[in-house]
Amino acid sequence: MSERGDIVLSARGIVKRFRSGDSELEILHGIDLDLRAGERLALMGPSGAGKSTFLHVLGLLERPTHGTVDLDGRDAWSLSTQERALLRNRHIGFVFQFYHLLPELDAVENVMLPAMIAQSRGDFREDRHQHIAKALDLLSNFGLAHRLHHRPAQLSGGERQRVALARALFLDPPLLIADEPTGNLDRDTGEIVLELLFRAQEERNLSLLLVTHDERLAERCGRVLRLEAGRIVGALPGHG
Amino acid sequence: MYRIFLSWRFLRSRRTNLIGVFGIFLAVGALILILSIMTGFLEETRRSARGSLSDLIITMPPYSESRRPRDPAPVLEVLRKDERVEGASAHLGWMCILTRQDERSLRILVDSQSSEIAGIKLTGIDPATEDNATEFRSSLDKVGRADDGTIEAPRLRVASLDDPFAAPPDYNANVGRPRASVIVGEKVMTYHGLRRGSFITLMTAVPDPASDTGWSAKKREFVVAGCFRSGENEIDLERVYIDRGQLARFLAGVSEDDPLPEDSILYSEVLVKLKDYASDAEAVRASMGAQLFQAGLIDETCSIRTWEEFRGALLGAIENERVLMGIMLSLILVVAGFTIFAILSMMVTEKRRDIGILTALGATPRGVLVLFLLIGFWDALIGAFAGAVIGTWMAIKIDPFERWLSDTFGVQIFNRDVYLFDSIPSVVTPMAVAAIVVGAFVCTLVFAAIPAWRAASLDPVEALRNE
Repeated sequence: MSERGDIVLSARGIVKRFRSGDSELEILHGIDLDLRAGERLALMGPSGAGKSTFLHVLGLLERPTHGTVDLDGRDAWSLSTQERALLRNRHIGFVFQFYHLLPELDAVENVMLPAMIAQSRGDFREDRHQHIAKALDLLSNFGLAHRLHHRPAQLSGGERQRVALARALFLDPPLLIADEPTGNLDRDTGEIVLELLFRAQEERNLSLLLVTHDERLAERCGRVLRLEAGRIVGALPGHG
Repeated sequence: MYRIFLSWRFLRSRRTNLIGVFGIFLAVGALILILSIMTGFLEETRRSARGSLSDLIITMPPYSESRRPRDPAPVLEVLRKDERVEGASAHLGWMCILTRQDERSLRILVDSQSSEIAGIKLTGIDPATEDNATEFRSSLDKVGRADDGTIEAPRLRVASLDDPFAAPPDYNANVGRPRASVIVGEKVMTYHGLRRGSFITLMTAVPDPASDTGWSAKKREFVVAGCFRSGENEIDLERVYIDRGQLARFLAGVSEDDPLPEDSILYSEVLVKLKDYASDAEAVRASMGAQLFQAGLIDETCSIRTWEEFRGALLGAIENERVLMGIMLSLILVVAGFTIFAILSMMVTEKRRDIGILTALGATPRGVLVLFLLIGFWDALIGAFAGAVIGTWMAIKIDPFERWLSDTFGVQIFNRDVYLFDSIPSVVTPMAVAAIVVGAFVCTLVFAAIPAWRAASLDPVEALRNE
């Protein structure tokens, strides 16, 4: 685990252009970003500012037109598809606005999914008991001990997001990317999820990249970046 | 590990997959069933044709100009000396008309539209040596099938196996009653309404140089000693066996007990059974032909043929039909493959977001490809396995199954009077089953590959975009 202060994620000169018809549309105009271990960074900005695109580039889901993303000291976009998938699996935990759980799996299985993807059948079977114990532990900590074998359709929004959070933390990644994690929840429920998110982030000394519209939420982060029209227009120190 | 786990989970959670599984099941089962029956038809036809035709048939037309010996003994002697020959027997065949003192005979004779055969192939045999060359003896107590489909206990159709032409025990051959007996085909028996001990009149024509027309008519009354069952419809419907000597006397126009005249016709063909037909047939035919020709026992008017040459067209047609049927039914597999393609394509569209999630969690495009291919693989595995088991089972149990269907719905599906066989023949060849199962797998995987490829090339970001 890295000490507080080490750079976990480093993006340099991120440019993203989309081709639409004959014209090219530039969404990101060369963005730099460093994220340190244990740092809580909020990314804010109006709709269409390029927040999601930037997040996807950092999350190794979308290739930038120019620029580099260093994760774990490696230039992620110069790696092979295979290596990049492994990097995503081991180093990044995602929390999405719409939870994105697999509807066919119950809560425990959803939480263990990153391990299932990472391991071969034999290895997973060998570690199965440890994985289940860890999943149960995470879910119980998040107050879902009575919901272990429910499918997502049987869970409330808050419960789903807590399962998604447990899944993101399952392989102990150093970086957590949360895209509007409370955007689809009512205030009280959202507050519970946020509490869990921040607590996990502090306990594990994670870097948290949080995309939000919510000013009050952004205020609880150590650093706030404002993205407008594909450029960082202001960096504010937060209060977190 | 997620590929197998998730493919199985996806499969189970989508009922539509059952349609694909069912399609493959149906295709595999039907292919196995039909090909087994066609193979069965082929083998059964070969078997019954072989039984009634013997291995080699030497046709020796008894023309009057021929310088060949009138008696078959020298030919039989040459043949029986050969160690590759199991047995040889001389036949005298003659076409006849069968009548009896009964309205039925008239009806049969005037029925020009009848598809049944009214003519009779009267076949003169030597009962003592016959069973060495043909299956005459076994046809006398062959297991048959009653009208309700149950198998009859083997029963003797003549008074005695040792003397098959013996008249029925209670038959009193008084003066004026026929003294020569015949054994008629089982279907001849029922068609003409005969019983053991019935009298029949056989009529035919023989060459007669003294006559204006060159022919003279012959008729004689015979007593029915019993019947035989070859299992081949045509033979059971038109063949009547008689002692060769008695047939010669009938044709020569001398009484049953009189000695044969010098110039009587004694045989028209010689049937040869080989110890190993498959390997020796051609060699025996060539060497026998040369030997008999040199000895002056056969001439240009004679021919030596294998039984397959007699039935070549029929056997070829069935084999052809089997191959064609296989090709056409393979199209069912393609249809089943299309079903898999459609279902998986639907599934990929429906699971766009899940594919995006998996990618975000570290799945590679190749992993996603394998995941969807595996769904097709499970479809094929379940469908092909169930199809192979049920298809094989049905092929083995086709007869009771057909009878059950007939009984339940009151429609006769397999008409045993029309076909050559007592039961629906079916032969399951493991190689054919294996080939069909492999074909099902290949077909399914090829069709599953297209949607699987599409799933693998999905843009995860596109799939994850918030609604």
